[in-house]
Amino acid sequence: MNFLAVSINHRTAPVELREAFHLSEDEVRLMIKIARENLLKEGLILSTCNRTEIYGIPKDSNLSHSQIQNFITETIQNTKTSIENFQTFISRESVKHLFSVATGIDSMLIGDNQIFKQVKDSFQIAEETQFAGFLMRRIFDSATRAGKRAISETAISEGAVTVSYAAVQLIEKIFSSLNKKSALVIGAGETAEIAAKHLADKEIGRLTITNRTIENAEKLANKLNATIIPFSNFKNLIYNFDIIISATSSKDILIQKDDVKAAMKKRSYASMVLMDIAVPRDIDSETKKIDSVFYSDIDSLSIIVEQNLTKRKEEIPKVQQIIEEELNTFFEWYNSLQSAPTIKNLREHFDTIRAEEVQKNINKFSSDDREKLEIVTKRIINKILHAPTVELKKVNTAGTGAEDAATKIGIIRSLFGIDKEKSNEKE
Amino acid sequence: MTPVIHFLNVLLPILYLGTFSVYFYDFMKGEKKFVNVKRLFIFITLFTHLIYLLLRTFAFDHPPITNVFEIFTVLAFSITFSYYLLELVTDIRGTGPFIIIISFVFQLISSMFIADQVEVREVLKNNLLGIHVINALLGYSGFTISAVYGFLYLILYKDLKHNRFGLIFNRLPNLEVLEKLSFYSAVIGFILLTISITIGIIWLPKAFPEFSYFDPKLIGSGLVWLLYCGGIVSKTIIKWKGKKLILLSITGFLIAIFSTIITNFLVKSFHSFY
Repeated sequence: MNFLAVSINHRTAPVELREAFHLSEDEVRLMIKIARENLLKEGLILSTCNRTEIYGIPKDSNLSHSQIQNFITETIQNTKTSIENFQTFISRESVKHLFSVATGIDSMLIGDNQIFKQVKDSFQIAEETQFAGFLMRRIFDSATRAGKRAISETAISEGAVTVSYAAVQLIEKIFSSLNKKSALVIGAGETAEIAAKHLADKEIGRLTITNRTIENAEKLANKLNATIIPFSNFKNLIYNFDIIISATSSKDILIQKDDVKAAMKKRSYASMVLMDIAVPRDIDSETKKIDSVFYSDIDSLSIIVEQNLTKRKEEIPKVQQIIEEELNTFFEWYNSLQSAPTIKNLREHFDTIRAEEVQKNINKFSSDDREKLEIVTKRIINKILHAPTVELKKVNTAGTGAEDAATKIGIIRSLFGIDKEKSNEKE
Repeated sequence: MTPVIHFLNVLLPILYLGTFSVYFYDFMKGEKKFVNVKRLFIFITLFTHLIYLLLRTFAFDHPPITNVFEIFTVLAFSITFSYYLLELVTDIRGTGPFIIIISFVFQLISSMFIADQVEVREVLKNNLLGIHVINALLGYSGFTISAVYGFLYLILYKDLKHNRFGLIFNRLPNLEVLEKLSFYSAVIGFILLTISITIGIIWLPKAFPEFSYFDPKLIGSGLVWLLYCGGIVSKTIIKWKGKKLILLSITGFLIAIFSTIITNFLVKSFHSFY
């Protein structure tokens, strides 16, 4: 199977290079257009912040990986690359790589299930631009199945692997339903935004933002349907919140132990969670000594992240097993796309239908006619199948690419429902 | 019938140990492999135990509440049965080993020392006494479960305060759920104890001429009842929450145990039947 893949990813390239190779959706569409015209019959282009990859079946069977690499570097100008920045795959290895990407075991953050969605989106673009053909669709179906199985049959995507999400996981160990709780996010930078978004995703009852620059707080609050409180006065209002997440770039402590003590008194000592994900820290760590106050900083949250990453790493062999199974299923199907077995399957398929119909109606014929009925019906089937058989024999002759032949045979098999029949037999 | 009772008497601690082992293994590994096996084990254990209790009642012509070892086996059953109901209602399955181990200990002691007591005092064959004792035992089972959840709450609370993210953090439900489980178990225990005390107050003066309201067991039970009543009022009216309430539940349980030991073994009471 002449299926090529070229990848530039977090293993092969530094972040500046990955950033340079990151393609927007429009750029992906443009690259697909050029690739279709010059290099590939069908394929897929995947571009995320950690990888840009091209998969495809070459127009010319002599097309090499370096030609695809040149195509990438020429299209994305002003970037200096070397051969080590690219990973290349062929045939089964290309399919296996796509499955590894879809299942998240090739991700920088192992088990990151965002990549599964990104693979789906890339395929959607390939479909819309008619870059995805018969084989690519089948490969994508198998990759999707592998991705879904990895999520449902293993713990590869379980547990928080970012500090912001670990903060939310920890909060969920204290409170049962976040929709009855109120949270204050201090800061409006990237970390604060991610944390606030996680809380919003968990349907927090009331989300409030405060930030030194009020415009940024307003912007974030609008995005997440949150309210804002003035930064100058927030310390006097913290008693209103069950959860406080702080992620500012302040060099000084923003919340002192006495502030929390006073707030706890006003709250009748109802539990309060303080998540300090800022460096340097925003909340006095002495607050953890107050009863019913749960304080965590970035170091303690990193412990959760490390634990979850270790657990995910332990799941990799299980995911690899799923990938192997899906690869075997895919190549079993692909190898069936040969002329001889297809002609045989096609004849068996028609003969079964013929025999069933003859059997159903046999009593309508006299015993003398029954033999003739067999001969006539067999002759009809032979005549119907003569032209397809000749065509199928021609398909694998010189001058026709193996992938073209596979596509034609695949269409015939699917048209007559032979694959379906085979899988039913297996079951 | 007696050989079957003897066989079940040996089998029951083994079944409790088996159920505890499956729950414990599942708690340690957290692989979700034994989710259904756990339910099957606990169901078989409870069903066998119920048969055992019924057989004893019919074979010896009295409910199994006439001596401390009979009471232990009923306690073992009622604790696990209450937990089983709680697990079915809440679908929280990670706390089983901490409760089933208590039943195992009660059943083991009971199985080792229980005797085939056919002759019992006539008063102990009374149906009202049966209802009175069964309610009291179920009530105390509720308090036991409430205390276990209370202890689990305190352990998790401490782990969270010290940022320790081990097995307890990973397997136990969150603090609010543990608090709820502890509270509801205490409420159920309180209701059953109230029924038991009410029956006792109506029936005991008629059954025992030497009845006294100053009986130590009565005072002990009254104290436990008052404490749980106070806890429930604090939660529902004064809106107490969290650690304070949990400490109250654990204190109630410790007083219940303390009072039971004192009134059963150390002080002479009309209320002691064995």
